[in-house]
Amino acid sequence: MGPKNFIVAIILAIALATGIFVAARLQAPAALKAAFVLPAPMPLPEFALVDQDGDAVTATSFREDWHLVFFGFTHCPDICPTTLQILAAARSELAAAGEEPLPRIVLVSVDPERDTPTLIGKYVDYFGDDNLGITGDLDELRKLTSGLGIYFEKQPGDGSDYSVDHSAAVLLIDPNGEFHALFGGPHSIENYVHDIPLIMANQ
Amino acid sequence: MRILLFIAALLVGACGAESGPALVATDIVVTRPMPGMGMSAAYLSLTNNSGRIVSITRVTSAQFESVELHESTIEDGVARMRAVPKLEIPAGATVTLQRGGKHLMLMRPTGTADTLVLHFYDGQDLILTVDATFQSDFKNPSTN
Repeated sequence: MGPKNFIVAIILAIALATGIFVAARLQAPAALKAAFVLPAPMPLPEFALVDQDGDAVTATSFREDWHLVFFGFTHCPDICPTTLQILAAARSELAAAGEEPLPRIVLVSVDPERDTPTLIGKYVDYFGDDNLGITGDLDELRKLTSGLGIYFEKQPGDGSDYSVDHSAAVLLIDPNGEFHALFGGPHSIENYVHDIPLIMANQ
Repeated sequence: MRILLFIAALLVGACGAESGPALVATDIVVTRPMPGMGMSAAYLSLTNNSGRIVSITRVTSAQFESVELHESTIEDGVARMRAVPKLEIPAGATVTLQRGGKHLMLMRPTGTADTLVLHFYDGQDLILTVDATFQSDFKNPSTN
């Protein structure tokens, strides 16, 4: 091999190595900050609940849009409004950045005893105009939560003054109506704004 | 005359020592009860400038039928809220009531006032009165 051929071989080797490096970078998914993406999206269990207008909500209701689903209750003054405020702020930031599609924010009540459709409607409206509130029959609620690994338990209280322990996670449901990713908490606006476009792009 | 001056100086000194409030509230945030909702939350920092432990055993407000000390926790992925019987603030220390932690749960508003007054008691003694304005517009959430 002459000196000229040797230089060409070096250049080709460098080009090949650069190509492999760039290709690897392009193919590697960017690291998520908080979300856990399920290895395979999971269909929602069968259930029959209602939204704030009293209209039926079933597993098929989550198709077409992305949904961010939080399980909480309206008589919760601290964690629930804080979490919904974080989700609403993240959605606003994604909208301001021109991201599409935007996920719809959903609150599923773990306190259907007090959370009527009207009450949960007022509550979710407080955090934005396009939010979905879901409540209904306790047995139907349990079909949904147990199928998704969501825990909730009413605590002893004084009459109508009681609290409900509940999973703090937020679930991302994809437009196929399948449980796609989970944000375990603690929740932050920054993590949602960072992770949601990446998850949607890699769907 | 010297004796009188001495006594006067002693009195001034005594008044000076007593002039600062034992408990000081800062960073007060009270969320406005949402329409149709019977509860809200208050957050603040309490600094104990006295030389003794201050124990908040009761908080009242004319603007709410009930005010309770509560604590939120998230452990093993589960959010919980429990009543706290009292809030102890050691001498010289600051205790912060904040989102996702200890807070005041305000229940059943008595009206639609824009301001509220909170009274903090250590046993039978009223030790702090806090004036606050309702905050938070959840539809235009701040990142702060």
